[in-house]
Amino acid sequence: MDRETVERVARTAHIKLTEDEIRRYGNDLAEILTYFELLDEAPGSEERGINPVEIADVLRNDEPRMEIDPDILLKDMDTYERYVRGPRLS
Amino acid sequence: MSMKSVLETLESVNSKYLMFHAKTSDTDAGDAKFLFSAKDNLTSKDMETCAGSRILEGYFPAFDATVIAKMREAGGKLIGKTNMDEFGFGTFSTNSGFEIPRNPYDLERACGGSSGGSACAAAVFEDHVSLGVSTGGSICCPASFCGVYGIAPTYGRVSRYGLIDYGNSLDKIGILSAKAGDLRKYIGVIAGRDERDPTSCVQPELKNEGRRMKSVAVPKEGVEGLSKDVEAAFNNALEELRRMGIDVETVDMPSLKYAMPAYYVLATSEASTNLARYVGMRYGRQDGDYTLKFDEFFSGVRSRYFGDEAKRRILLGTFTRMAGYSDRYYSKARQVRQVVIQDYKRVLQDHDAVLAPTMPFTAPRFDDISKMSALDNYKADYLTVPANIAGTPHMSVPCGYGSDGMPIGMQFVADHWDEDVLFTMAEDWEKEFEMKRPEVGA
Amino acid sequence: MKIGLEIHVQLPTKSKMFCSCPTTEAPGPNTHVCPTCLGMPGSRPVLNRKVLEYGIMLAKLLGCRVNDVTWFSRKTYFYPDMSKSVQITQYDNPIGEGGAYYLNGKKLIRITRIHVEEDPGKTKRVGDLSSLVDYNRSGIPLAEIVTEPDLSTPAEAREFLGQLIQDIRHVIDIPGDGERSIRCDCNISVGKERVEVKNVTGLKNVERALTFEVVRQTKILKAGGKIDRETRRFDEERGVTISVRKKEFEADYGYIDEPDLGIYRIKEMAESIKIRESPQKMTERLAQQYGIDQKMAKQLVNTSVELAELFENVAEKHGTQNAVKWVAGPVSSNWKSLETSGADPNSVMGIIDRFAAGEITDTECGIEIKCLMTGEDLESAKGAAGDLDNIVADYLDQNPGIIDDYRKNEKAANKAIGFVMKNSGGSYSSAEVVEAVKRLIESRL
Repeated sequence: MDRETVERVARTAHIKLTEDEIRRYGNDLAEILTYFELLDEAPGSEERGINPVEIADVLRNDEPRMEIDPDILLKDMDTYERYVRGPRLS
Repeated sequence: MSMKSVLETLESVNSKYLMFHAKTSDTDAGDAKFLFSAKDNLTSKDMETCAGSRILEGYFPAFDATVIAKMREAGGKLIGKTNMDEFGFGTFSTNSGFEIPRNPYDLERACGGSSGGSACAAAVFEDHVSLGVSTGGSICCPASFCGVYGIAPTYGRVSRYGLIDYGNSLDKIGILSAKAGDLRKYIGVIAGRDERDPTSCVQPELKNEGRRMKSVAVPKEGVEGLSKDVEAAFNNALEELRRMGIDVETVDMPSLKYAMPAYYVLATSEASTNLARYVGMRYGRQDGDYTLKFDEFFSGVRSRYFGDEAKRRILLGTFTRMAGYSDRYYSKARQVRQVVIQDYKRVLQDHDAVLAPTMPFTAPRFDDISKMSALDNYKADYLTVPANIAGTPHMSVPCGYGSDGMPIGMQFVADHWDEDVLFTMAEDWEKEFEMKRPEVGA
Repeated sequence: MKIGLEIHVQLPTKSKMFCSCPTTEAPGPNTHVCPTCLGMPGSRPVLNRKVLEYGIMLAKLLGCRVNDVTWFSRKTYFYPDMSKSVQITQYDNPIGEGGAYYLNGKKLIRITRIHVEEDPGKTKRVGDLSSLVDYNRSGIPLAEIVTEPDLSTPAEAREFLGQLIQDIRHVIDIPGDGERSIRCDCNISVGKERVEVKNVTGLKNVERALTFEVVRQTKILKAGGKIDRETRRFDEERGVTISVRKKEFEADYGYIDEPDLGIYRIKEMAESIKIRESPQKMTERLAQQYGIDQKMAKQLVNTSVELAELFENVAEKHGTQNAVKWVAGPVSSNWKSLETSGADPNSVMGIIDRFAAGEITDTECGIEIKCLMTGEDLESAKGAAGDLDNIVADYLDQNPGIIDDYRKNEKAANKAIGFVMKNSGGSYSSAEVVEAVKRLIESRL
């Protein structure tokens, strides 16, 4: 996989790579993708198959309910006045 | 070994085998009926849950995974969370952010993966059952390497609520134990519909009829590339099966060779979306510099705490679902899954199970593993991946020992929802097969 | 100039889209949250049935083809308010596709698709420039309506949104501030290249943002420049659009299926869901279908959709003439008394059945209907109405010209009404007199 593609993929995935990693992952991915060319010759199928067994029509009724106290969920979170702290937006 | 002695020696046994990431400090089993352990990607209220990843250090879930809750309700006491490859990404449990479990038969060798700690615990402790998770073979592979029984039931048989996702269309929670009877017993405990996991809500009832296999199909594609030891043990096992009155027939399953690339595309595509949530906010590691812009902040945390293989699979999976490449990889892999399922359905019309060795070789040494390339690692899964991509129930049973004394397993694959025929096979096999337990000393 | 919109409307469910957290106003930040909407490891989505139902209703309202099978997709992008860094949305096979909307009942605005998805949380900035996130909104269901670029001006875009929201409100109960809280991505091309202005809130801002773009793009083109195909955002305070740095929008969402939910076969659900016709559409249809004038149709619909439906039922069974005579007559004029009498207006059908079968007279039918509507005692009403009818009939006998005048102008009835009111000494209410006069005049037309 060429350097440009590795960098683009890493940027999309939010992974910072060192020079060495760009080279190493680039080589690994190239080797793996070459092997994956096997897929090109594999037969296709009309079926969508989102799951290996059909999972259809599982729905929940519109009934509000709180099972876990939000305070317990916030306990280990870095918060400020109940807001979850995060990085700069721009 | 009583429950009390297990608890009392937990610390010292663990320091030898490193099967646990977190473990109980209780030395009294209380009114527990049995002890169990669970792979560390299953959430537990009372123990840190990291799924083998440093990015999750400090995550104490507010809820028990459904399987853990059910085991506790059945009288089980959770003694530890087992070490694993980070998020399940591996074949040897060596891709962990924490400790790497040691094979009970040879401490210089791997337990297999990714449920390596679970297989190790099942082999080391007497009367122990461990919850494992399989995405591409992560129950059967370590069961085979550690000489225990392991079953991954049909996709959707066991609720995944509380499972830290690897590939949501592939993940299955199952059981590892040195006792064949535990498979039926504990799948019975953890199976069933759960309104918190829609994919568990379409299953038919779990059968307990004790139906016996009459014939098994051995695919040509499943006996290629085996080590001499594995080949010999497998052939002996086939003889034993024939003696038990089971027909053994060789068949062609041409789709199997496509299963491996299709599996890695689907698994990493899904994994790369599942792992997108780990950005250094809300849980786990939250020590980033908030004055950085969010893109920088997220990338920084992720690059710091994800391990090498996690990064590789995130990159691979992000690529295979990218606009412009998605049709060639992701969409095609999804189609190949259907082709593999059809292939199994075809063979299972005339046979009760498809049978092959679980792994092509016995547990490798750590120094040999470190020499393997990423692709070598992936290729080692070629026998376990097809049943996993098809969502069919599959089980590894110990079937022999190599010249190096290491255990060898064989894997039966049954049709969707037909776990019963696998349970019965394990129970019958246990009577015929002489198991050699590892010598355990703390 | 071509304008297309992507409109986000919050759906009024009681619980969130994929978890049971309430959607009502929360007492504080992060109080209506759970592992699922916080994206905690191990949590899982379960779809709220109502979200599919609302989605189907909107698809029908917009004349979309409802797909037999629908499913969900994962759209991956990183932002602090997106708890999973994945939004569960629909990509291929959304709920509805290929619809049409007629602006002012005339101009066709093609609807590309309608799908449902989850809302992210909300962020705010603090002093040191870091952010604070409230996930109460995370997981609130949204419908996204996408139009083709069929709108011609910013003003038309605003008008379209206004009408669309009115119509949506008749089908589902969106909150009163729907117009202000509506969020749009606006696509506009003055020349060849398309510019997207993302996440504009409220009708007024949509028009402002688009107008700014028209001026900006026109200026560039006039100066011989080239428009960049790009994404911009709208600064509400300054009223300008600002280019968003390319790198930020190089987003590759990498859509894949959402395996945690499976598929939904919604054909039957779609068939069983009937949506209320919008008042505007119903008025137009009644006038056209039954050949009654627009005014009467409007009066029926505005009084009550139920009244208009009764009109249709009577017209179907006993002809438009009887529907006009009885439903638009005494049923309509006494509609308000239903509030106190609590009667079921549909029972009127039985009375009209008997009238049509010749079992009761014109006058008896009128009285029975009135008594049913108001809850008055039938016997005493018969006596009184008999008296009233006689007074009116006598007057009309003596002044036959009124019938001819009435043909030209309904106001001619006022003369008779005035006479009867004056000469009956207040024994009858004005409504009763009006009803009797109109009924008897119309019976003589």
